[in-house]
Amino acid sequence: MRFTLRSWKLVLPLATLVAVAIAASVSLASSGGSGEIRIAIMTDCKGAFGFGYEPDIGGAQAALAQYAGAKPKNPKKPSAGITGGKIGGKSIRIVGYGCGNDTADLAIKETKRLMEQKKADVMIGPLSGDEGVAVANYAKTHPSKTFIIGTAGSQDPTLQIAPKNVFRYHGDGAQWNAGIGEIAYKKLGWRKAAIIMDDYSFGWTSAAGMIADFCSVGGQITKRVFPPLNTTDYASYIRQLPRPNQVDGYFWVVGGTGTGSSLKAFEQAYGPVKADQFIGNLFFAFLGNFKEVAPRLVGAYVGGFGTGPGLKTPGAKSYESIMKKWYPGLNGGNYADGFVYNYYNAAWATVRGLQAAKGNVAKLAASMPRTNRSGYEITDKGTVKLDANRQAIQDQYPLQIVKGADGNPSLTVAGFVPNVSQAFGGLFKKSSPPPGRNQPSCKRVKTPWQGKIKAVRNGVVTNQVIK
Amino acid sequence: MSGARSAKTLVERAIGLAVLVVAAIGPVLFSDYWVNTILTQTFLLGIAAASLIFLSAYGGMVSLAQTALYGIAGFAVGNMVTQGETKGLNLGWDPTLSLVLAIALTTALGLLFGLVASRSAGIYFLMITLTFAVIGNYFFGQVTLVSGFSGISGIDRYTPGFVGDVVAHPNRLYYVALIVALAVYGLIRYVRRAPFGLALQGVRDEPVRMSSLGYNVALHRTLAFGFGAFIASLAGVLYVWWNGQVDPQTIGLQATIDLLVVAVIGGLGRIEGAWLGAFAFILINNYVRGVELPVVGGSFNTIIGLIFLAVVVLSPGGLMGLWERVAQGRLGGRGGGSPRVAADPAGPAPGIGSR
Amino acid sequence: MSAEPILRLRGVGRRFGGLHAVRAVDLDVAPGERRAILGPNGAGKTTLFNVIAGDLPPSSGHVELFGGDVTLLPARRRATLGLARTYQQSRLFLGLSVEDNIYLAIRGVSGGRLRPVILPGDRELRRRARQAAGRAAIDGKLPELVGSLSHGEHRQVALAMALATEPTVLMLDEPASGLSRGERQLLTELLLALDPAITLLLIEHDMDIALAVAERVTMMHDGRVIVEGTPAEIRANELVHELYLGSRYTDE
Repeated sequence: MRFTLRSWKLVLPLATLVAVAIAASVSLASSGGSGEIRIAIMTDCKGAFGFGYEPDIGGAQAALAQYAGAKPKNPKKPSAGITGGKIGGKSIRIVGYGCGNDTADLAIKETKRLMEQKKADVMIGPLSGDEGVAVANYAKTHPSKTFIIGTAGSQDPTLQIAPKNVFRYHGDGAQWNAGIGEIAYKKLGWRKAAIIMDDYSFGWTSAAGMIADFCSVGGQITKRVFPPLNTTDYASYIRQLPRPNQVDGYFWVVGGTGTGSSLKAFEQAYGPVKADQFIGNLFFAFLGNFKEVAPRLVGAYVGGFGTGPGLKTPGAKSYESIMKKWYPGLNGGNYADGFVYNYYNAAWATVRGLQAAKGNVAKLAASMPRTNRSGYEITDKGTVKLDANRQAIQDQYPLQIVKGADGNPSLTVAGFVPNVSQAFGGLFKKSSPPPGRNQPSCKRVKTPWQGKIKAVRNGVVTNQVIK
Repeated sequence: MSGARSAKTLVERAIGLAVLVVAAIGPVLFSDYWVNTILTQTFLLGIAAASLIFLSAYGGMVSLAQTALYGIAGFAVGNMVTQGETKGLNLGWDPTLSLVLAIALTTALGLLFGLVASRSAGIYFLMITLTFAVIGNYFFGQVTLVSGFSGISGIDRYTPGFVGDVVAHPNRLYYVALIVALAVYGLIRYVRRAPFGLALQGVRDEPVRMSSLGYNVALHRTLAFGFGAFIASLAGVLYVWWNGQVDPQTIGLQATIDLLVVAVIGGLGRIEGAWLGAFAFILINNYVRGVELPVVGGSFNTIIGLIFLAVVVLSPGGLMGLWERVAQGRLGGRGGGSPRVAADPAGPAPGIGSR
Repeated sequence: MSAEPILRLRGVGRRFGGLHAVRAVDLDVAPGERRAILGPNGAGKTTLFNVIAGDLPPSSGHVELFGGDVTLLPARRRATLGLARTYQQSRLFLGLSVEDNIYLAIRGVSGGRLRPVILPGDRELRRRARQAAGRAAIDGKLPELVGSLSHGEHRQVALAMALATEPTVLMLDEPASGLSRGERQLLTELLLALDPAITLLLIEHDMDIALAVAERVTMMHDGRVIVEGTPAEIRANELVHELYLGSRYTDE
C-alpha cells in the first residue's frame, strides 16, 4: 500500500498533463475557422543565428502592424505576439513561431508543426540557407500553403527547386556579393585570386557570387579551399592557399568563430594581413568575430546583405522610423541588420499579397506582389522586382571596413550595385548545378550590372561609376 | 496470488490489444498531423529507444551510441539513394539494395563498437558509448564528402517499391513504421526468451558467473550491441524516409540526450517503455512548448528536464515502472507467490515482494 | 590414489601486489575423490579455487585438468571441459527465474549459447534443469525470480546449477554458509549421495559437514598447504587444532 499511495501522487500530474495535451490538440483542431488568416513566423531560436529570434519576429510583425493594423502585445518582446489586424475583412492570427537551429532537420519538423498542427496558411521564414532548401522541398508537396522566405541565402529554393508557392523578396547569398568581384578587379587591380569558403551550402553560395562576379570581368580564381564548418584549427587549410606573393588577393568566406581563427592562422603562416589583399563576404561585417585582426583590415571591402547601413535615402529613413515606432530599440537599434530587414520585407509583401487576394489565402500565391517597395532601394522608384521564379531582383550595397568615429573599425556602405538578379547574366540557371565546392567554374559571363556600380560616400549614392 | 499476477497480465494484454486496434485504424481516427507526425514519429523514435532499452534492460548496458548508430543508417541510405544533389555521394543506387546495405553497415559498425565497449561496464561503458556518439556527430560534420554541416536532403523521394511514395501518401509510412515497431517489439520479446537473450540477462546479472558457466561474456556483449545497432538502424532508415533529411545535428549531443530521456521517461526496465516514452516526449515537445513557467521561464527543454527529474526521483522505472507499481497496488504483486519477505536488497525491480 | 590425478597443481602461486594469497601449492586430486580444503579465513582457499576454475590466472606454476595443462585456458573453456563451481556469494542471476538460472548453467556446457532462436531441443534442457532443481530440493520455486528468494534458497539454486551441468569435477565454495541446521543436514545428505564418479572439491567451515563428506583433507594456512591427510589424521593433527580448529571453536 505504501507504493500505491506514492504512485497515485505521480499519476495525477501525469494524467493532467496528458489531458491538457489532448485538450489542446482538440481545441486547436476545432479552431481552424475560415474567418481568419493563419500566419506562422519561422526563424531560429537556437544555433548560430538564435540571437536573432526576437529581432526577426519584430521585423516581420512591424510590417503587420504598419500595414495591416495589428498591434504588438509587448514592444519589448516581439514573440509575445500581436493583437488585432485585419485584411480583407479577416483577422490576422499568428499561430506560432518556429524555432529552428539553422539545420534543415529541425526546420522540417518545425514547418510540419506550424503548417499541419497549427494549421498555418502562410509562413514567413525560414532563416538560413539549408532551412530554405528544406522548406522549399516541403512547399513543393504542399501547394495550398504559401511560403515567403525570411532570410535564406541558398540559391536552390528559387532556382533549382522553385515551387510556385515560394517567394523571396531578397537576394540569395550569391546576389549579396554582386559587385564585389568587379570592385576587386577595377579598384584593387586583382587579376588572380584564391578563395576560402565554409564547406556547406551557404558558404558555397556566397562564394559563388564572388567567383561569378570576379570572373565576369576577367579575373581568375587560382585556388579554392573548403574547410568544414566549425573547424577550430585552420592551419592546414591556410597552407593550401597560395602565398600572398602568388595571388593578388583572397576572397574570405569563413563565418562565425571561424572568421577570427582562420585570419589568425593566416597571419601565423604569412605575417600580417594587408587590407587590399582581402575581401570578405557578409561574415566580415561581424567585426566582433575577428577583433584582433580587424584593425589591420581597415580599408578591406565586404560583400553586402541587401541593406545599406547608415544610408541616408528617404526610403531607408522611413523604414527605420517604422521599426522605431513599433519596436523601439529592437536589435539594439540596429534596424539595418539584414535579418530584421528581410523579415520586415517578407511580411510587408505578404500583407500586400493578402490585400490583393482580399484575405482569401487560397488565392495568396497568385496574388503575391511582383514588386515590393523596400526602404533601401534607390533605383526604379524604390522597388524590388520578382523574376519568373519569384525571386527578388534587388539592389546591393558592397561595404567597406573603415575607422569609425571612436577609432575602432566599423562598416560603411562603399558601393551601389543596381538590379542584381539571381542569374548573374545567365551563369546560374535552373539546369545548372547549385553552387558547390567547384560550382560555378570561373567563366567570363557579363553581369547586367557590369560597369554600373556607383560609389557611395557618407551614405549618399554618387554618380561616380567605379572603374 | 498467481491469480493476481494473471490479473495484471490480463490487464496488460487488454491495454495492448486496445492500443493495437487504435493504431491499426489510426488514420481514420486522428488528424493527418497526428498520424503522420506525432504517431509515425512515436513509432520510429520508439524503435530507437527500444534498442537502448534492450541493451539496458537485458544487457545491463546503458548505451549513448544508439543515436549515432541510427544516424549512420540514415546517412548511409541518404548517400546511397540520392542523385543529383549537391551534398553527399549521390550514388543513386536502388533503394531496396541501399536499405539492406545501410542496415548491414550499421550492424557491422555496431559490432565493431561493441567489440571496443564490451570489456567495460557501468559508467565506463556509458563514457565509451558517449565517445562513439561524439565521434559520429563530428565525423558527419567534418567529412563533407558524405555529409558536412548541411547533411543530406530529399531522401524521402527514394523509397523502395514495397514502401511506395511516402511524400504523396504519408499514411504508407505510418503503417510501415507501425509494422516495423511491432516486429521489433516481438523480436525483442522473443530473443529475450531464446538462449542468446537469457544468457544476455545472465551476463547482465553476473558476468563472472557466466564466464565460469562456459559463456564468452565479451562476445555476448558484442553481439548484443550489434543486435542493438541493427534495431537502431531500422529506426534510422525510417527516420530519413519520414524527415527526408539527415544532418549532423540529427545525431548531435542534444539528440543523444533526448533519446536517453525518452528511454528513461518510458522506463529502462521494460521494452514497452520505449514507445510510451517516445509518445510522452513527442507530446510534450509539441504541446507544452508555449507554456511559461513562473520564475524559471518556459522552454521545452526546461519542462522536459523537470519531467525527467520528476521521473528519476519518483519512479526510477519510468512510466512502465509506475505502471508496475500501480498494478502491484491494485492487482497484486508480480511473482508474489512467496510468503517470505525478500531478503536480498539487490532485487532487480523496485518493490518486489514488499507488501 | 592409484589412478592418474584428474586435477594436478604444481607450484601454483598467486600474488595481489605484495600479498601472496597462494604460495607454491602442489595438489593432486584423484578421479572420484572427495577432497575438502580447510583453513582459517585468509588462508588462500578461495583464491586457489579461482585459479583452478580459471577466474584468476596464477602468478606462477601451472594447473593440469583431465590430464592436460589448462593454465592458459579461460574459465569458460574449463567449464565446457567438465568443471563446475559455486561461489561463496552465490552469484546468481537475480533477474531470472530459478528454472532459467539452472537452464543457463546447462546451456553453458551444451553449446548453442549464442543461438537467438528457441529450438525444440531447449525443452530437453529445461527438463534437465527441473530435474536438477529437484535434486537440490528447490523444484518448488521454479518460476520464482531468484531475486525474491531467501539466502538458503540461493544456496540450493547454486548447488542445482552446479549439479545440472553434470560436471566431472565439482568445486563448492562454502556451500553451507548461512544455512539453517535443517538445511545443513539436507546438504550433507545430498553431498553424500553424489554420483561417485564426480570429483568433489569442497571449501567448508562447517567441520561436521566437511569431515563427514571428505575422503581426504588439505589444510591451508597463509597461502600454503600445511597438512594433507584423511579426516582422522586431520582431527588428530595438533597443528591443525592450534591453527584452525581451536580458533574456529573459540570463534563460535
